[in-house]
Amino acid sequence: MLRYTAQRLLGAIPLILGISVISFVFMQLAPGGPDAMFARNGRMSDEQLAAIRRNMGLDKPVPVQYLHWLKNLLRGDLGTSYVQNRPVTRIILERLPNTLILVGAGLGLALVLALAFGVLAAVRQYSLFDHAVNAVAFFGLAMPVFWFGLMLQLFFGVRLGVLPTAGMHATGETGALDLLKHLVLPAFTLGIGSIAGWSRYVRSSLLEVIHKDYIRTARAKGVRERVVLLRHALRNALIPFVTVVGIDIPLYAVGAVVTETVFAWPGMGRLFYDSLAARDYPVQMGILVLSAFAIILGNLVADLLYAILDPRIKYG
Amino acid sequence: MVAPPLPGPDGGNCGRRWQRHAGGLRWGQRGQPDYLGWGPARCRGTAPAGETRQGGTLTYVTAEEPETLNPYLTQLVVGFDILSLFMESLLEADDQGQYGPRLAESYEAAADGLTYTFTLRTGVKWHDGSDFTAQDVVESYNMIMNPDFGAFSQQGWDKITGAETPDDHTVVFSLDQVYAPFIANVGGAYIAPASALAKGIQSFKEEFGREPFGTGPFRFVEWASGDHITAQANADYWQGAPKLEQIVCKFVPNSNTIAVQLKSGEADLAAYVDAQQFDTYQAIEDKQVIETDSQAWFHLDLKNIDFLMEKPVRQALDFATPKQDIIDKILKGHATISVADVAPISWAYNPNIKPRPYDLEQAKKLLDEAGWTPGPDGIRQKDGKRMQLELWGIAGDQQNQQILQVIAASWKQIGVQADLKFQDIKTLWGPEGYQFTETPTACGYSWFNGNDPDDSFYWHSSQIPDSPTGSGGNLPAYFHPYDMQDQIDELTERGVATIDQEERKKIYWQIQELLHEYVPVIFIYWNKLIFVSPKRLQGFKPNAFTPLFHNVHEWAYRA
Repeated sequence: MLRYTAQRLLGAIPLILGISVISFVFMQLAPGGPDAMFARNGRMSDEQLAAIRRNMGLDKPVPVQYLHWLKNLLRGDLGTSYVQNRPVTRIILERLPNTLILVGAGLGLALVLALAFGVLAAVRQYSLFDHAVNAVAFFGLAMPVFWFGLMLQLFFGVRLGVLPTAGMHATGETGALDLLKHLVLPAFTLGIGSIAGWSRYVRSSLLEVIHKDYIRTARAKGVRERVVLLRHALRNALIPFVTVVGIDIPLYAVGAVVTETVFAWPGMGRLFYDSLAARDYPVQMGILVLSAFAIILGNLVADLLYAILDPRIKYG
Repeated sequence: MVAPPLPGPDGGNCGRRWQRHAGGLRWGQRGQPDYLGWGPARCRGTAPAGETRQGGTLTYVTAEEPETLNPYLTQLVVGFDILSLFMESLLEADDQGQYGPRLAESYEAAADGLTYTFTLRTGVKWHDGSDFTAQDVVESYNMIMNPDFGAFSQQGWDKITGAETPDDHTVVFSLDQVYAPFIANVGGAYIAPASALAKGIQSFKEEFGREPFGTGPFRFVEWASGDHITAQANADYWQGAPKLEQIVCKFVPNSNTIAVQLKSGEADLAAYVDAQQFDTYQAIEDKQVIETDSQAWFHLDLKNIDFLMEKPVRQALDFATPKQDIIDKILKGHATISVADVAPISWAYNPNIKPRPYDLEQAKKLLDEAGWTPGPDGIRQKDGKRMQLELWGIAGDQQNQQILQVIAASWKQIGVQADLKFQDIKTLWGPEGYQFTETPTACGYSWFNGNDPDDSFYWHSSQIPDSPTGSGGNLPAYFHPYDMQDQIDELTERGVATIDQEERKKIYWQIQELLHEYVPVIFIYWNKLIFVSPKRLQGFKPNAFTPLFHNVHEWAYRA
């Protein structure tokens, strides 16, 4: 398993290189460019404009710019932001923990609720609860995040006044309880879509397993229903679910952009959006490469989890 | 978008309407397309003056976060606004745009316009405890002009040929040519502390840009990236300690969330909110809405090419643009009609020009006379050429899109086909922008004026870019100079080379008449600036010429 992990990580290197080349090229192909606004800035002379391009390294051909970027990357230097005039590494590190907190909370909430709803709906197939979960699932999948977030803000923040509507902390507060209060609405908004989809997945996957012979055997042997369900059925039903979750995790990064915007969460999604709008190439590249690495890592973890869930699957 | 420098096209990231201000508002001199400007306050429901109390926190909520708080690098209005808590300029504009004292007690311009002497205030201290002296002013000038630093604008400063400090509190700048906007450009710029400048370019860019300090009424406390900036009252402020204790600037990128925060009481103050949301804010119980005039003009630029080079055609399009309808129906009345590029609140405004009425018959007549007659499909043509153009706008900006749809529908009625196209702001003004294609185009956006009426940036032939990557603001004339190019070149040059304000006024009146006559662009309206503030906040007096916190030391909560 260790060898397999090492192999996969080594294999990730050319993949990340490829991703970085493609990102770099596409970034440069996007119309506009970081210097576009300077050119329309009153009284900026052509000489001043040329100096700014030189500063940004934009005067060199694209392949040279890329190699320069790559050389710095190998030394752990992601460059300096065009608009913030600060090292990209520091800018990303300020935001990364915030995004991890939000995505972690959203993901955790979605996993727990999806499993609970899915199992209950499967056990009570065609019951009122099953239909209710079904209806809520369709609602959850269909509804736009920015609208749902706004409704939550209006209800819990304005109408009831029990939860803060945006941000990570109240003015002057740094405590964990304060953070938790601020986390509730965005985490739920981020997770709602997956709760819906995943609970349907758990339900159908569990229903499929529940009619298998070995479950009937277990029941015939007089094993308690609870044990049959959780130890025999659910464990096997989880394997396809893990794949789905593994695939969905990168989508969380995407969902986080909207959630972070609606809830003014100081995360990386907003940073990425802003850097795209500003054509801040160094920040864009830094986040893209980091995300690529995170996705590769996420898939690897999902694959390793199979082996833990199903002893028949072995790597190495 | 107020006092100091820097035009440039803008309008924000504009991915979505509610992010309209993101990425975009600059503090302007002449010329930046923008949505906002400033104007003398016309308050609605202002609280009656009464006893005020010491202390309290004010939370200012803004959609945009400054990219840096370096006073010479930030390109965003919000950067200049927040800096007005910490830093000050030599002079400050009043609500008429006339400059008076701030860090300088007084200034004197030599009769020939080639020497400016600033007498600095004594007893002013930087937040680090050191004295404010002439050295700070000279070092600020040196940094702005240092080519390795890359200041966002050197306007005005680049006319200086000599800087002298006869004593600690006198600065004498000499110029080699008369340059009337000097006072607005140099007098209105923030002065940085020599102690921070002495640490070198890198430190000044990076560290000072993140933790600025100045001589202002508030001290910088912290900047949590993506979240907030906190400021604490400066008890030693030279105009007296501020009444408010703390100001928090919160970054909330979504305009709906901003509305929610103002409603829930988590935020107190918002600036430059959408005209379409005016009534929503008016309905919040403990808040008041304040509307001021601005220096931002929304217009359609017309590429000077093909049939758009014909003056009667441009005039016809002006007649066929329903300006008052756009203001009444789309902006709910929160704008004023414009006829040229000088704001009604400016001393240089020419009040004698009347806008062309919305008159389709007059428009048709002009086109008929110019030889453009309706073809079989109803679109006018001449010599086998159809009167068809692209009408560009800012992607994601719903207000902008609604306006352009109304215009396209109206032009259709006089037989002009306008195909709507939308792009993001960086693309529109980049080298791949519409200005550099050989198709007739128009584009709707706002330019944002600075405090000096100098408008060479928009019209002068030197501002026509040499290539799509070249600099300059006069983009419509990229393919062909205007038919009035020589006249406007001469007038704008004379405008900056004349010191006497009455003389200058005459020049700018002529320019406005010329612009109205030739219609190089279709002037549509002046934006309004809309602020939401707590009813119990006193002393909040925004205007079109100064940054948001210009008089923050006078703000206080009612007891």
